[in-house]
Amino acid sequence: MKSKAKRNPGSFILSAVSVMMAIIFITPILWSLAVSLQKEGKQITGILDWFTPPYTLKNYPDLIIGSDVTRWLLNSIFIAVITTVFTVILSAMAAYALAKIKFKGVNALYFYFLLGLMVPGEATIVPLFITANGFNLIDTYAGLILPSIAGSMNLIIMVSFFKSLPNELLEAVRIDGGGELTIFFKIVMPLSKAVISTVCIFSFIGSWNNYLWPLLCSMSSSKFTLPIGIPTFAGTYTVDYVKPMTANMIAAVPVIIIYIIFERQIVEGISMSGVKG
Amino acid sequence: MNKKIKRKNLLVGWGFVLPFFILYTIFTIWPVIQGIYVSFHKWSLMGKVKFIGLDNYVRFLEDKKFISALGHTTWFSLIAAPLLVIAALILAMFANRPVKLKRGLRICFYLPSVLSVSVASFTAKYMFTPYRGFINGFLHSIKVLPANRELQWLNETNLAWAAIIIMTVWWTVGFPMLLYLSALQDIPPQIYEAASIDGATKRQQLFSIVLPLLKPTTYLVVMLQLIACFKVFGQIYMITGGGPASNTRPLIQYIYETAFKKNNMGYAAAMSYVLFIILVVLTAIQRVVEKKGAKADEI
Repeated sequence: MKSKAKRNPGSFILSAVSVMMAIIFITPILWSLAVSLQKEGKQITGILDWFTPPYTLKNYPDLIIGSDVTRWLLNSIFIAVITTVFTVILSAMAAYALAKIKFKGVNALYFYFLLGLMVPGEATIVPLFITANGFNLIDTYAGLILPSIAGSMNLIIMVSFFKSLPNELLEAVRIDGGGELTIFFKIVMPLSKAVISTVCIFSFIGSWNNYLWPLLCSMSSSKFTLPIGIPTFAGTYTVDYVKPMTANMIAAVPVIIIYIIFERQIVEGISMSGVKG
Repeated sequence: MNKKIKRKNLLVGWGFVLPFFILYTIFTIWPVIQGIYVSFHKWSLMGKVKFIGLDNYVRFLEDKKFISALGHTTWFSLIAAPLLVIAALILAMFANRPVKLKRGLRICFYLPSVLSVSVASFTAKYMFTPYRGFINGFLHSIKVLPANRELQWLNETNLAWAAIIIMTVWWTVGFPMLLYLSALQDIPPQIYEAASIDGATKRQQLFSIVLPLLKPTTYLVVMLQLIACFKVFGQIYMITGGGPASNTRPLIQYIYETAFKKNNMGYAAAMSYVLFIILVVLTAIQRVVEKKGAKADEI
């Protein structure tokens, strides 16, 4: 089958075109990376000069030490980690109750949580700011974290997974006198590693890349995350590209590494969300 | 006993849901209601609040800046969404071919999508910059652009739109590509084999088998891309700043500037509801389409 495909000229052309496309897609990222590895002040006469050695890693420590970038990097990590932890725990707890505990009003509650799918965050950004301002959350870490924790999508993904867990198992623990918290932490969470790690990956990347809310919520440079801080590096046309591209790469490399490691899971997660919308 | 269990379940159930419920109510649902209240007022952050009824709503109907921003967002969506759908389909077909590079292709096509809007826009801005940017340099080197000419990507309206749309396709095509890819992988190989035996050419297979089978996915992808495109803000704000002369300013940027640069929260909230209604209608259509697609799958 495969060997036949190789000998077919049409198929070879298609392969060549698809490889070309792939190269075009990663060129901007490779270019940005190559620029960040150049010495400052290098003369650029043709486009290949961007990519040619000598390379240096010096720009990275230069930029990280003694500039705001360190602070933004730490802010990004801190906010993404805390957001992810709380998103997973609070969504999983709520999803468990909705899926496995029979109590009055559970269906109405689920419907109420579904409404969130219809609320476009971009269109409620002004009142969200006023609300956060009312709680004195503007320009605080709490303000940067709290609004992104309770999302409908994560909850729905978890509810549908928890529903598939066998009731007999939970009942057995209940008969043995185990409380709901025991069941949740000892049985449900360990059995749901796949769905939890998917939610983890997506909420981490989502938080790391979040732009509109941090743009409004962070007033002082000490609260900036990388996506907000980096554009402040945008110089004029005459400025050397090296520093901005280094800052750019500091923001990009962590997500690229996470993506390469968890690529299969991310693809599966997206196929899953595509089915569920 | 039964009553006791019921009461216990009610307490435990609510106990589990409560933290999520509180955050969700404050940060997702409450702003929708609060926004309506704000939009009936002249509202500035420094505490000046005055009830003015529907004035804000009447005002934007005559606001040329609002009309043009809404026009930009709409025109961007109507151009970018179809381009994204077609590009996603083509790339998915590439990544679905039985070649060794399959996974590598998929990784490359989706890689830009994991970048934040800042990183993607920042990279694009520097690539499109005249004189020193990569794109003009590349066009010079393949002799498409004469050495003494520069394309002013960021200073001419049409070129600025082209730059924004090229960057948007590059940055966001990964997600619809993956949706198409998983749909393509769901097509049983026997179908292709049967078609080959019946003497169908590759082209006939594509047009009379593959594309019809992808119809539900196409509906879904079109709607999802339209919704995403109507939310456009970050990349335009960072690449052109809405310029030249506000000619690429999208709706969200105008809302943002009204609220946070001009401190007119009430007017910004009222304009937000136009976007809100557009997005809710598109989302509702998408859900209906999806339900139909799910039904078709069962048959």
